[in-house]
Amino acid sequence: MADTAHNMHNGNNRNLTPKGKFFDFSLLIIVMFLIAFGLVMLYSTSSYSAMEDYGDAAYFLKRQLLSTAIGMIIFVATIFINYHFWYKIKWFIYVASIFCVLLVLSPLGHTVKGARRWLRLGPLSLQPAEVVKVGLIIVLAAFISYSGSHMKKLKNNIVYCILAVAAAGITGIVTNNLSTAIILMGIAYIMLMIGNSKPTWLIIATVLGAVAVVAFLIWFFNNVDSASHFRFKRLLAWRDPEKYASDTGFQTLQALYALGSGGFFGKGLGQSMQKLGFIPEAQNDMVFSVICEELGLFGGICLIILFILLIWRFMVIANNAPDLFGSMLVVGVMAHISLQVILNIAVVTNVIPNTGVTLPFISYGGTSVLFLLAEMGIVLNVSRQIQVPVTVSEQAGRLRQRAHAR
Amino acid sequence: MKTNKKHRTGIKIYAVIAMSLLVLLIVRLTYVTIFCSDELNAAATMLHERERAVKAPRGRIITADGTVMADNKTVCTVSVIHSQIEDEEYVIDTLSRELDMSEDKVRSYVEKISSMERIKSNVSKETGDRIREYNIPGVKVDEDSKRTYPHNELASKVMGFTGADNQGIVGLEVKYDSLLAGVNGEILTLADAAGIELDDYEEKRKDPIPGNDLYISLDYNIQSYCMQAAMKTYEAKQAKSVSIIVMNPQTGELLAMVNYPEYNLNDPYTLNYDIQVSDEKEKMELLNAMWRNGVINDTYEPGSTFKVITATAGLSCGAVSLSDTYCCGGSTVVGSRTIRCHKTTGHGTQTFAQTLMNSCNPAFITWGLRTGVDNFLTYMDRLGLMSVTGVDLPGEASTIMHKKENIKELELATMSFGQSFQITPLQLMRAISCVVNGGTLITPHFGVRTIDSQGNINTLEYETTSGVITEDVSNTMKMLLKSVVSEGGGGKCYIEGYSIGGKTATSQKLPRSEHKYIASFIGFAPAENPQVMAMCIIDEPQGIYYGGTIAAPVVREVFENILPYLGIEQSEKGTQ
Repeated sequence: MADTAHNMHNGNNRNLTPKGKFFDFSLLIIVMFLIAFGLVMLYSTSSYSAMEDYGDAAYFLKRQLLSTAIGMIIFVATIFINYHFWYKIKWFIYVASIFCVLLVLSPLGHTVKGARRWLRLGPLSLQPAEVVKVGLIIVLAAFISYSGSHMKKLKNNIVYCILAVAAAGITGIVTNNLSTAIILMGIAYIMLMIGNSKPTWLIIATVLGAVAVVAFLIWFFNNVDSASHFRFKRLLAWRDPEKYASDTGFQTLQALYALGSGGFFGKGLGQSMQKLGFIPEAQNDMVFSVICEELGLFGGICLIILFILLIWRFMVIANNAPDLFGSMLVVGVMAHISLQVILNIAVVTNVIPNTGVTLPFISYGGTSVLFLLAEMGIVLNVSRQIQVPVTVSEQAGRLRQRAHAR
Repeated sequence: MKTNKKHRTGIKIYAVIAMSLLVLLIVRLTYVTIFCSDELNAAATMLHERERAVKAPRGRIITADGTVMADNKTVCTVSVIHSQIEDEEYVIDTLSRELDMSEDKVRSYVEKISSMERIKSNVSKETGDRIREYNIPGVKVDEDSKRTYPHNELASKVMGFTGADNQGIVGLEVKYDSLLAGVNGEILTLADAAGIELDDYEEKRKDPIPGNDLYISLDYNIQSYCMQAAMKTYEAKQAKSVSIIVMNPQTGELLAMVNYPEYNLNDPYTLNYDIQVSDEKEKMELLNAMWRNGVINDTYEPGSTFKVITATAGLSCGAVSLSDTYCCGGSTVVGSRTIRCHKTTGHGTQTFAQTLMNSCNPAFITWGLRTGVDNFLTYMDRLGLMSVTGVDLPGEASTIMHKKENIKELELATMSFGQSFQITPLQLMRAISCVVNGGTLITPHFGVRTIDSQGNINTLEYETTSGVITEDVSNTMKMLLKSVVSEGGGGKCYIEGYSIGGKTATSQKLPRSEHKYIASFIGFAPAENPQVMAMCIIDEPQGIYYGGTIAAPVVREVFENILPYLGIEQSEKGTQ
């Protein structure tokens, strides 16, 4: 097993930078850019409906700015908190996050548009589902790191699955939010695939699961013409949004209109027509469609490329993390963000049925941006502990400095 | 525990999978935004765009002397947009005060949750401007154009009026609707999901094309004068209606057309007499009757004025001549029927000219029978009595006539003095115009020319047929008709210094047992070269009902005023 990030330099500590010296600036820049871009697009997307509903065009922007400001404090803090601290309090975080979800059932629970998914404390509101994502990533990373090579064992897999299913199940049922449960299971699945060095049974289960899903879909579309449950309706609307245009397919169809009317370079920032009430709550799940309408295919591709770069940075950091816990933390964050980006854009382009997954950093949501920043801080802390080889020029520079000092 | 190679491979595999999926989504996104763009963009455009019609101003109707008979004025429609109202009470208070409406009524509109609620239309521009100046959020004042008739009742049955969408309903307004209407413009606006138009996105796509102004031959002064004369007669004779037509017999230009009682063009849905009607259908029928232009839409038995046609037919085909005489004994027997002359003691021996002056029925039966069915019908047809006149007004009635094979001696006898068939007054006027203008069958009309918004003039053309009768017959008839006025039954139309021709008629309405009459007179001046022809028809006069006694003086009155006005000089011959 390799001791250091770069096994080609193993053992030669003199040629490595000290811990805390390396910092992934490109990741920081990408994150800052996404945050800023997200705020601009949020304002563009939400100002019209904010004016209509609240009489203040910046209503959503102000709220998001506040969350982002708090998020930035946490972000900076997590950059400097040694990530091994999270290992120590993994159980507390896990239990506390699930407890938060259960609190939704208490009088603190808050209902918005018929969905009881929020906790409310005075002016502050919190979406516990976002907290659980961080809690689950930390506890699973800790468990994989703790189990190490024993992760192959069935017993550990079962415990792992109980941890994941408990978090996903409780969150999904209590907040009646299937998409969050899917994201949680997805994160756990990806972390297990990577953390279990012999995932034979997982691969078999994956293939069987995929076959079952495809079989179900084929059966569904051949036999079901109408459905009353909204999840099945969404499935039907997925294949034929025009038919369900007045109902379940409405949002999807409106998003497609937005994409189609944007063209290559878009209508220009602020010029979206679809955000004027045609796409319901355009600042949430469907924000990407408004981006494409205003900034065109060009803007859309730029944003996707930013997310690709983000995944690439995650991959580099995860591969070079000082230990398995750090690596798995980054994998968890990578799984979380990549899953949400892929599912969100797939929904907007009508590749998959409407799931209600938000676009990280861009969609409106205070808790989401706050905890995403916390996750990014953790990742950056992991990156700080990477020891990278010193290049020839850097060595020369250092020698010169020494000579100069003399 | 450190990361091992398998972990790193897993990380790389996942990262590559995730990045590939995102690349695939780029492909999908490209497909949707570029290759489905046309279809999606069209659907989206349909969703966003609202086409708002901009009414084209309707063309005016202007008389020969330049009086505007039909014009447009700007009126306002006041509406509220519920979602934009800030202070309901203020809106209710202001609007109920300005629009003179009850607060409860305004409240019911203001509090109704709808995208836009119309509170009042046809609000005057001043009121609309005043409301606009308050600048109340949620209150919208839209301008619109409304048809107005500055002279209310004048020539109402000729003019007609327009409906809610500014479309012609009756009269010239409907006949010339396509010319007057113009083409509505379109403003393209974008609207949000709630249907509220976005101000800054307004784009004019098509300008409205204003309608053409219609210039008509009607003369405001002649029409006014005729209406007064008709009104006076209507009241004096307690008649059902009084109609006066004034026309240029050379060209067919109609100078006046009165059907008294007229109705107010600015308020056409109110009956012009007091009556309580509860049934909508019944009211509609009464309104339709009120809007009718009797001289065009209704037929009547012309009576003695038709003797002009009988005489013309007889003279033209050579069946009779000026040298013929007839001895009237007060009645004549046709087949098995005895037909009486209006002078029961008989006219005695008369020349052809005297039979016309005396309007002797037995004599005209003889002239008619001599002419024969074929010639009679031929000349009726040539003089345009078998077809509509083609006047530029809607709903012209057609001749009600025996079938040719059914015309036996008795039918021909009654037709000879203008009974047993029906025509419209305007048909008769046209036929007599032809008789006295030298034989040219004209088309009576109002429309002279249209001028579009660019000033392009389009002169309206009408059909004329010349040579219908010979110049000789025409001259003879003018002379004969002049003698009717100077020496015969039309004497009450005689004006010192003017040479006037004419013919009276007293027709008995069907059924004869009711003893209801139509008194009429048709006259023209100057008799030698007629420039103006006038006809007066008094329907169901009370008391004296003879055309020569009650209708001829009306035409004289009209002539006394309009002949100098038209510049027709007195002739020395007139006194002869």
